[in-house]
Amino acid sequence: MIDERQEELASLHALGLLEGADLEQFTAELARSPELQRLAAELRRVSTALAHQAPDAEPPAELRARVLASASSFALDPALPKAFPTNGGLVPFRSWIPWLVAACIAVAAVWPERLYIRAESENVSLRERQRLAQLALEQTRAQLGDARRLLAQSGRQIAELSANLKAEGDLAHLKIATLASMLGNSPAALAVAVWDPTREEGVLAVSRLPALALEKDYQLWVIDKQYPSPVSGGVFVVDPATGEAHIVFKADKPVHSIAKFAVSLERKGGVPKPEGPIVLLSN
Amino acid sequence: MTSSGEPNSPGERANANSELMRRMAGGDRDALAELYDGLSRPLYSTARHILKDAAEAQDVVHDVFLTLWRNASSFDSSRGAAFSWAVTLTRNRSIDRLRTRANRARLLGNSVPDDLGYGSENEMLGADARVDLGDRAVAVRSALAELPKEQQLALELAFFSGLTQREIAEKLSEPVGTIKARIRRGLLKLRDMLANRL
Repeated sequence: MIDERQEELASLHALGLLEGADLEQFTAELARSPELQRLAAELRRVSTALAHQAPDAEPPAELRARVLASASSFALDPALPKAFPTNGGLVPFRSWIPWLVAACIAVAAVWPERLYIRAESENVSLRERQRLAQLALEQTRAQLGDARRLLAQSGRQIAELSANLKAEGDLAHLKIATLASMLGNSPAALAVAVWDPTREEGVLAVSRLPALALEKDYQLWVIDKQYPSPVSGGVFVVDPATGEAHIVFKADKPVHSIAKFAVSLERKGGVPKPEGPIVLLSN
Repeated sequence: MTSSGEPNSPGERANANSELMRRMAGGDRDALAELYDGLSRPLYSTARHILKDAAEAQDVVHDVFLTLWRNASSFDSSRGAAFSWAVTLTRNRSIDRLRTRANRARLLGNSVPDDLGYGSENEMLGADARVDLGDRAVAVRSALAELPKEQQLALELAFFSGLTQREIAEKLSEPVGTIKARIRRGLLKLRDMLANRL
């Protein structure tokens, strides 16, 4: 029993529209089923009848002559043996000589022409293929050039992305802390400390800290649990007008894990351990 | 056979063509000439409709008849009629050329005309002006005309355009499944309608 799917495959097969797995599957089913073979043959016959749907066109008269002339040149091989008598014993050898000469002349005359027709046809085909191959080659070269440019561009983009990723990776390692004011008279004072453990270097940005007397300095402290006392990050003063300061600092000792930052008010030049009041402290 | 000796019924015509093929296999060029006279018109019309180019259509028909001539000894009438074989050769070669042309146009950076002429009613309706067509052609066209328009168009595109199932679906803005169903229904109906006329 043929189902709809097989009818569909047979219809598409009749029109040469089956491809890939469908074609393989249908071919296998076809080999197994005589019923399907009958259907496929019927649909193939019907599909070829669609040729009659083409608008009627009369082939030019010279096409007939061309077909018959070409057929004549291609008929030479099978025709040659038939041109010789099969009952050779009845014909004296000498009487063959004119026939042989005539045959040789005929072959000599027709063979080059046939060869020429074939060669010319092959030449045309080869020239066409060569032209297409040349076009394909030129297109491939152009595509190769484009591909190289794209590759170079991609290389640059990859380098930029790598740099960005590295920067982002570095950023992830940074210790960033906000320091809040501990001063009753300057509650708006604020600072941000950024510490790069790779370079063991940090940046401190301070704002709205009160200006100090000449004999005083602010001193930054890095609190690392491995040390019993805070490690000094250096002294700084602020702009008297804005209360701002930006400093790049290093700790006096190697630090591995910063717990907090602190800023204290100390005597000019700083002290080894905090002595004055803490004015800013991170969480 | 008619009184004039011309084959009349589909079976007689098929037998007559098979006999011509048999004679061609024996090197009979008159048989080739007869087969040409009987088949060249529908074959040329098919090639021309597919290729939209008279010179290329002539090359295809020339090529097809030479192939029939050279391979006549391999013709087996139990596997199909000579007409079907010739039409299949013509269609395949025309579509090959069509695709080569499209490939060349692509290589040259030209766009292939999107409208291959299908869907416009000019040529299809031009069938009214057909003359000198055999009964078979008239029967096929009448049967096709009875199909729903969408099935006609799917079959015509499938046969003449050289497009794949997917391309036909894209051209008609329909799902591939719909196109497959239209082709199936259309061909099966045609088979039933033309049962005793092919």
